[in-house]
Amino acid sequence: MADHTTYTTPHRGAGHWILMGVATVLTLIGLVLLAGGIWLITLGGSWYYAIAGIGLLLTAWPLFRHLTQGVLVYLVVWLGTLIWTYWEVGTDWWAWVPRMVAPTVILVILLLCLPMLSLRRRT
Amino acid sequence: MTLTRTTRTGLGGLLLTTCLAAALPALAQDAPADPDTGVEVIEPEVTVVPPGNDAQAQTDTQTGSDPQTDAGTDADAESDADTTSDTGAEESPAAPGSNAEDTAPTEDTDQADEPTPAENAPTATSSEPEAAADTGDEPQPAGADDSAPPPPPADADAPANADADADADADDGAEEGGTEDGGPAAAATGTTSTAPSTDMAPADTATADTEATDTAPTDTAPTETGPAETAPSETAQADYEIGADWPYWGGDADATRYSPLSQITPENVGQLERAFVYNTGDMPSAEAEGKYAPETTPLKYGDALLMCSAKNVLISIDAATGEENWRFDPGVPDEAIPYSASCRGVSLWTDPDAASSDACATRVIEGTIDAKLVAVDAETGAPCEGFGENGTVDLWQDIGERVPGWYAVTAPPAIVRGVVVTGAQVKDGQAEDAPSGVVRGYDARTGALTWAWDLAAPEENRDGPPEGEVYTRGTPNMWTTAVADEELGYVYLPLGNSSVDYYGSNRSEAENEWATSLVALDVTTGEPAWSFQTVRHDVWDYDLGSQATLVDFPVDEGTRPAVILPSKQGDIYILDRATGESLFPAEDIEVPTDSGVEPEFMSPTQPVSGYHTLRFDPLTERDMWGMSPIDQLWCRIQFRRSEYQGFYQPPTSDRPWIQYPGYNGGSDWGSVAVDTERGILIANYNNVPNHNRLIPREEADERGLRPIDETQTASGGSKAEGEGDPQAGAPYAIDVNAGWRSPLTNMPCTQPPYGGIRAIDLETGETLWDQPIGTARRNGPWGIPSYLPFQIGTPNNGGSVVTAGGLVFIGAATDNLFRAIDIETGEVLWTDTLPAGGQANPITYEVDGKQYVLIAPGGHHFMETGVSDAVISYALPD
Repeated sequence: MADHTTYTTPHRGAGHWILMGVATVLTLIGLVLLAGGIWLITLGGSWYYAIAGIGLLLTAWPLFRHLTQGVLVYLVVWLGTLIWTYWEVGTDWWAWVPRMVAPTVILVILLLCLPMLSLRRRT
Repeated sequence: MTLTRTTRTGLGGLLLTTCLAAALPALAQDAPADPDTGVEVIEPEVTVVPPGNDAQAQTDTQTGSDPQTDAGTDADAESDADTTSDTGAEESPAAPGSNAEDTAPTEDTDQADEPTPAENAPTATSSEPEAAADTGDEPQPAGADDSAPPPPPADADAPANADADADADADDGAEEGGTEDGGPAAAATGTTSTAPSTDMAPADTATADTEATDTAPTDTAPTETGPAETAPSETAQADYEIGADWPYWGGDADATRYSPLSQITPENVGQLERAFVYNTGDMPSAEAEGKYAPETTPLKYGDALLMCSAKNVLISIDAATGEENWRFDPGVPDEAIPYSASCRGVSLWTDPDAASSDACATRVIEGTIDAKLVAVDAETGAPCEGFGENGTVDLWQDIGERVPGWYAVTAPPAIVRGVVVTGAQVKDGQAEDAPSGVVRGYDARTGALTWAWDLAAPEENRDGPPEGEVYTRGTPNMWTTAVADEELGYVYLPLGNSSVDYYGSNRSEAENEWATSLVALDVTTGEPAWSFQTVRHDVWDYDLGSQATLVDFPVDEGTRPAVILPSKQGDIYILDRATGESLFPAEDIEVPTDSGVEPEFMSPTQPVSGYHTLRFDPLTERDMWGMSPIDQLWCRIQFRRSEYQGFYQPPTSDRPWIQYPGYNGGSDWGSVAVDTERGILIANYNNVPNHNRLIPREEADERGLRPIDETQTASGGSKAEGEGDPQAGAPYAIDVNAGWRSPLTNMPCTQPPYGGIRAIDLETGETLWDQPIGTARRNGPWGIPSYLPFQIGTPNNGGSVVTAGGLVFIGAATDNLFRAIDIETGEVLWTDTLPAGGQANPITYEVDGKQYVLIAPGGHHFMETGVSDAVISYALPD
């Protein structure tokens, strides 16, 4: 709200750095999932991880640019993960732990970042 | 503004952290049972001494003399004080009290044909030399003795000196004498000498034994023995009623773990509170740190609880108050600790020919981790002087070179028809040339060898091996508890594998025939009546770990005497007690054979039970787990990179293979409980894979993997069994990742549950209920407790008790809770937080009309459940 200005104005606030940090972490996770996911595919395993890795990279890119679209992309990744989880393990809740807990934590973080983002670049 | 934002983000981070940390429980795994070694010193402790002994010191005998010996043995002598013994020829080491003066005498006893002290002495001497010699050559039994003997004798003095001599002597003597057998005769002789005074004791003992020996030795004739013994036993048995008492390790003689007590019920169990806490005082020394897993289950007989501590201290306490009546410390050295310091329990025997006021009329008998049988008076704790050498029988006799920790008894012996039947744990994975898996029967009165069952030389070695030889080395052993049918005179031996578990091409026919089988052995003859093999050509360490349970199994026309045999693969077999015939179709399944290193050795089929299995479906990639998609992905990659074609995947070397179920079960030594009134079988089980790889010899050499007899630098107790075991003599060593834990998080790669408890309809084998056992409270990534109260189902070790009141009591899981479960529904109705893991079987008993439930939560080093010397009894408030 009142702060919008703060955002638009250059960058360098704590919010900016936090955002950069989040985007960087997501990039790293995305790269790991993509690389490992491709390896898994070559071994005949699940395609989920490579796809999710790409999704995280696509999430991170807009975030580096302070764009809300990153969160929207992530929502798609998260929903896809949810559907995949249910498809793969049904209602075996302990099996949801590795699949949904961390992605949901990321979702919450991104939602908390929303105030730092906008749909269009301000510069 | 900024602040706000920051705050929010911070919150998010916090949340993240919290969630990650908390949400994922990992579990610890469990452990198997075996060894490590350590070297230590012996502590001499003393104990209460019962009458005979006075001061006790212990002695180690052995020692000094031969270097070789020492090493092995205890000894080092620490000679502390005592003299213990070792030696012994057949049996025993020295009885402490007795010898007071000289150690020598004591030892002699056994062998000595005649009891005179004087003689003994000499003998001893001579022996020494020999002994030494022997050792060197071949592993000889006698030679080294190690362990400290038991009771400390009066003489506390002379430890050092004594040692040397004594040791040697004794041993030798024994061997020479070759007299082990003696057994049968003994009975006849009636030598029970219970000589009271210690001093005298030696002599007496000797006598007794001798006589026995002489007589009996040679004859293998079972018959003779049979009759006499039989009678006694029955009598004995009569005294041992389950109910107010818990007279056998498995509750009753049938090992049902079912108690008719009913004061505690599902309605009032919520009020259960601690009646007393007793501490045994047996906690690990610095050297033994991380090697304790006491696994102790007391007996309750009369007004007393009778138990052993982790290092075999025998203890009697008041069953209602926890006050100590007596204790007897056999002086087990730390270096004798195999994989774990464990003493699962003791056994009772009442001499039918003795007056109740006689010393040792009722005796407590245990096997120790330094391989001795020890018998003490149940009333006073005084060693039974007429048993072996002053209450001790040396089980190293005729086994070979004494390497502490290689050959250890952790299970209570079975006593049937007056014969004490024991096997021993041979530390897994060491070498083809390992101590024999021989199962031996000893006269409960005299400790004389009644028979030996050496599965590779049953006839030749029935009365012990010829002089200078040892029981066949490297044969499958029985490390767990047997159960016996007094009427049939059969003892049911759950056999494991030879020391080299994961390679089989060079095994003998006898090994292949008997390994991983339940063997019904006729205790009157020492000959097998029948056997039932649960794995053909086992290269997975699927030892039979559970004590079998005897029931009158419901069939169309009434009942049929049957034996229930649970396996580590999770199969539960129901076999005819007299013939071994399966009451349910035993099916064969085809298993993979061609992907391992020895396809020719693999059996193309394996048996499974048509009655019930605790086993889950084979793993798939989607069963991989973790705390996040990243470590889950890592596990999925490992899954795909490992060799796995399902159940009985042959071991591989070029890449790892998945073994599922792992060697922890299924059902392990905790065994199953059977509510014979309701017709419900209660089985707790593990559901954990192992991730293994055979290591080519060259690589093993580079890693410095050496067998226990070549190195005393045993690994720490936290190491899993099989985690880098040398398997000397085979082309491959073995590396086991027990529970297949991810190196990224130390959490399992597979999803929960890792353990459960199931109620099975006894008659049909159908599941009545099945629940995970154990909450996630103590588990989490990197070992951080999550405090999550949810039942995740953890690995577990230790069995249950079922009561007429309708409850199942069990600890076992890694959450360190002791719990009461409604037998009808599987619902947990009550829990208490234990000071360490409840990896021990609980019991229930009654004193003055009040029902108690008791567990000794000793913890387990490899299950990461701490360590404790507590024994905790619970009752309803007055």
